[in-house]
Amino acid sequence: MDTILQILASGLTLGAMYAISTAGLALVFGAMNMLNMSHGAILALGGYLSYFAVGGMGLPAPVGVVFAVLVCAAVGVLIYQIVARPMLRSANFETRIFIATIGVGVILESIILETFGPQPKPQPVSMPGSLTLAGVHLPYQNLMILGIAMLLMAALGFALQKTRIGRAIRATAQNRDAAQLMGVPIGYVYALVLAISGGLAAVSGITISSLSSLLPNMGADPMLKAFIICVVAGLGSLPGSVMAALFIGVLEAIVQYVFGVRFSFALLLILVIIVLIGRPQGVFGRVQGVRL
Amino acid sequence: MDSQINRRNFFKGSALLAGSAGLLVGANGTAYASGEPIPIGQAAPLTDFAAADGVEFRNGLILACEEINALGGVLGRPLEPYFEDTKQMGDATNVQAVQRLIDRYAVHAVINGYNLGSGSAVQDVIADAGIIYMHNDTSRGHGALVESDPQRYFGSFQTDPAEIWYGTGLLKFLKSLEDDRSFSRPNNKMAIILSAGTYASNIANTVRDGAAEFGWDVSLYETVNVPISEWGPTLAKIRQDPPAVIVVTHYFPADLAQFMIQFMNNPTPSLVYMQYGPSVKSFRDIAGEAANGVVFSTVIGALQDEIGLEFERHYKERFGADAGHNSGMQSYNGAWIWATAAALAGGSGEPGNDAQNRKVADRIRSLIFRGVGGTTRFTPAGQDVYSYPGGVDDPSLGMPHQFLQIQDYTREPDLIAPWPYGKAAFKLPPWMNG
Repeated sequence: MDTILQILASGLTLGAMYAISTAGLALVFGAMNMLNMSHGAILALGGYLSYFAVGGMGLPAPVGVVFAVLVCAAVGVLIYQIVARPMLRSANFETRIFIATIGVGVILESIILETFGPQPKPQPVSMPGSLTLAGVHLPYQNLMILGIAMLLMAALGFALQKTRIGRAIRATAQNRDAAQLMGVPIGYVYALVLAISGGLAAVSGITISSLSSLLPNMGADPMLKAFIICVVAGLGSLPGSVMAALFIGVLEAIVQYVFGVRFSFALLLILVIIVLIGRPQGVFGRVQGVRL
Repeated sequence: MDSQINRRNFFKGSALLAGSAGLLVGANGTAYASGEPIPIGQAAPLTDFAAADGVEFRNGLILACEEINALGGVLGRPLEPYFEDTKQMGDATNVQAVQRLIDRYAVHAVINGYNLGSGSAVQDVIADAGIIYMHNDTSRGHGALVESDPQRYFGSFQTDPAEIWYGTGLLKFLKSLEDDRSFSRPNNKMAIILSAGTYASNIANTVRDGAAEFGWDVSLYETVNVPISEWGPTLAKIRQDPPAVIVVTHYFPADLAQFMIQFMNNPTPSLVYMQYGPSVKSFRDIAGEAANGVVFSTVIGALQDEIGLEFERHYKERFGADAGHNSGMQSYNGAWIWATAAALAGGSGEPGNDAQNRKVADRIRSLIFRGVGGTTRFTPAGQDVYSYPGGVDDPSLGMPHQFLQIQDYTREPDLIAPWPYGKAAFKLPPWMNG
């Protein structure tokens, strides 16, 4: 029983981390058909900014987190203004932006490397200690990550479904031209979507680095996992991505325990192949229509 | 005049001169480094996941060049280092990086730290160019390749022992702890955790294959993906069947630090051994108090003796208090060996001048070099370094396989073995003290 709870706790922690990093990626693809390949680098930037604010400037942890979120949101807006907007109406936007954001990611990663150096660094925003529940040790840090993920996903879901701007984002995702004709300022919506995605990436970077460490290339692995989850869920399907993230996190922990850690990533890839054969649009994806 | 002052200061300040650097001074005579520069190269992981080490490899070569130049370079010719990035260190990237060093800069030698990959790909580029290659890939693949065609691979040298010595060295070390009653096993179980890849696998396999001879049963042999931050499932297996010793051959400092943090939430009475990762300062920074008690080893690193400590002081003075001298010493050591041999051989050769470089290689083979990490002496067949005490039982004839323990995470780890280099006694880890 102890072991089952331990595996479940590990799986949910993994799933929660995946959910935060996937949400931003899915949101941007859902709204803009844009696969933001710099998401991983923005995630790393968020982690480092928190390190800089809390560890370097001595700011309280919540202030450091807000600082990181705001700067990464601003980076998202910059990516829209400098990279995405000029090519928005060009042919093959999806391919062009895919390649362009790879470049953005490389630049961001190089800036981090030059600024903070290559040595791994500890994330100062963390919660030491653990809770013992039914013989299982649950680190506060893991519980905090799970709580933050739930809170953020609920807030994002509420904002998309119940607020004016959320409706604007969904309308733009459904049909950009129609939304524009109805008076939706799509430039503003796109900038906002990338800002939200940047902010989510920052939170993701902070939570992931609190369980590993800060490295300039730390975003690569979460980015890959987020992409896999997006494909399984259906690119652009936000609620589906969150559910898929939690499911995959728990499944990964079970596979790691039962079959061995080395099989977990292979299993993810097999899952992608099966889903792409059976449902090319993803488990929760639709062939056409509203994605968000 | 400046050169004279530098040289004088160097003579006064360097402990290394008590050792093998005197050979270079003798060969150089009164020459000062004012002739045509000799280009030398390094292909190192300056970006991506191993950049922390790559930057130190670069620093080590820079420091060695500065010191060697202060002593007259190689027969009056100063060394001029050039660097190429090997990023994720795949064979193709490593080969291209070395080829660029040869094509663009006409380097006489390539002096690396480690690059991952097969450990036996760069040697062909070197052989084709007829130059010298000093590296720390710590791979038995190097020896096998050189043995297969000694004439072709005359110029390739691995300046540390192969990784397999980690395994045999660990089993002998554990036995020595039991022999002197510093540690007694609660059971015969040993858990081995490794990452995918030749290096970590070879070490893990050597431990697994030799375990029975020392009375150990391998109760868990778990391969993990890297990077790994959530160790829950692996720790669940360990907690379900607690072993006497946990051997982790994965080597990323951040991943290993997380292992210790999560292990310490509910530790088992097991001795924890890791390799390489804990020697990097960031392991202690990240793990904090959870690092206390961890035993680790390295087949190459700066000793904590007069020469090693002087090197550490000098290195940190030059590159900052957080600089990793244990990584930097790898290329530093290789550069000194090559420069000394080149000076003794009458100079080094540019690409294509393999006649001269064969003379340099002959000198390298015959040297017994006492550097900051102990003795470097090459095996005649494989041109890698003898390991002490695994390969030879005389500390003056092999590079010490150093066992260290983090006894206080706020300071450098303590060197606990082998004799006569050990400076502190092994302490039972805090989680095993009841």
